[in-house]
Amino acid sequence: MNELERISNASGPQPVLKQDRNLSSVEVYDQYGAMAYGIILQIIPQPHLAQEVLVSVFSSPLLQSCNSYPFSYAACIIKLARAKAVEAKRKLTALTPLEEDNLRPAGTPTPQIIFDLAFRQGFTPEEVAGKLNISKSEVLRSFHDFFKPNGNA
Amino acid sequence: MKTQEFIESGILEAHLLGLTDKEEQEKVREMVSADPALEEYTVVLEAGINTYFERESVNPPEAVREVVRLRSTRAKKEKHEFTNEHTSRQYLDVEVNDTHMKVHKFWRPAFIAVFVLSKIFLIAGLYYYFKSVSQQEELQRLKAQQIEQVK
Repeated sequence: MNELERISNASGPQPVLKQDRNLSSVEVYDQYGAMAYGIILQIIPQPHLAQEVLVSVFSSPLLQSCNSYPFSYAACIIKLARAKAVEAKRKLTALTPLEEDNLRPAGTPTPQIIFDLAFRQGFTPEEVAGKLNISKSEVLRSFHDFFKPNGNA
Repeated sequence: MKTQEFIESGILEAHLLGLTDKEEQEKVREMVSADPALEEYTVVLEAGINTYFERESVNPPEAVREVVRLRSTRAKKEKHEFTNEHTSRQYLDVEVNDTHMKVHKFWRPAFIAVFVLSKIFLIAGLYYYFKSVSQQEELQRLKAQQIEQVK
């Protein structure tokens, strides 16, 4: 299952956490455009390419699925922006493959490193676990450590 | 799995970041819908994740907003046109690129009959034409013979 399929798949929790609102693309852009652009820039540091991805996020038909997304609109935008950026990055790296060694950090992996690999580099938790020689549950636990109130985030 | 264990497993964070597979999504759905405390925690966590990404936000250039607006308008217009066409038209526009004329199949024996009769009349016409020509020649020859005999 690819990143975009994960978003369109509405198998998340029941819609108890969000009020139903139908926003237009421009309204969503005004509200979350900066956040989405920030996420895309973290994954693709080239501004021109990032802007193209940003446009594709807010003109995507998947944006409509955010209206029925069980969690907040922001969470849906975060997922969609990341998915589109990772997809663009994969296309880019297919043309110019990265050195594997550059992606493997030295020393003990911190939650920040694990988050970077999974969210920004676009690796699945299984791939991150394989790269860092740790278990998948440790990878997931580090997400919790990263986002808990006194964590790095 | 107990609530605290589930929270500390990090699966909720992974789910909100879009890093879970279908099975894990199913698990999160079941756990959150079954446990109000977990639901409450998810709301707080979501707010925390949003705050983190809002801190990292970067204002895009104004031109990008214009492109999004234009694309959104065009998409709406196309959708509207498609819907109107769908409801008002009962016929399909089919462009025919055929130069042939088609008639009912009952005309076939009539055309065959006309063709056969035309051939019969043609043969008969030629037959009687050549016959009359040869008779005239014969007549001329007999006339010439009679004149010679009289002389």
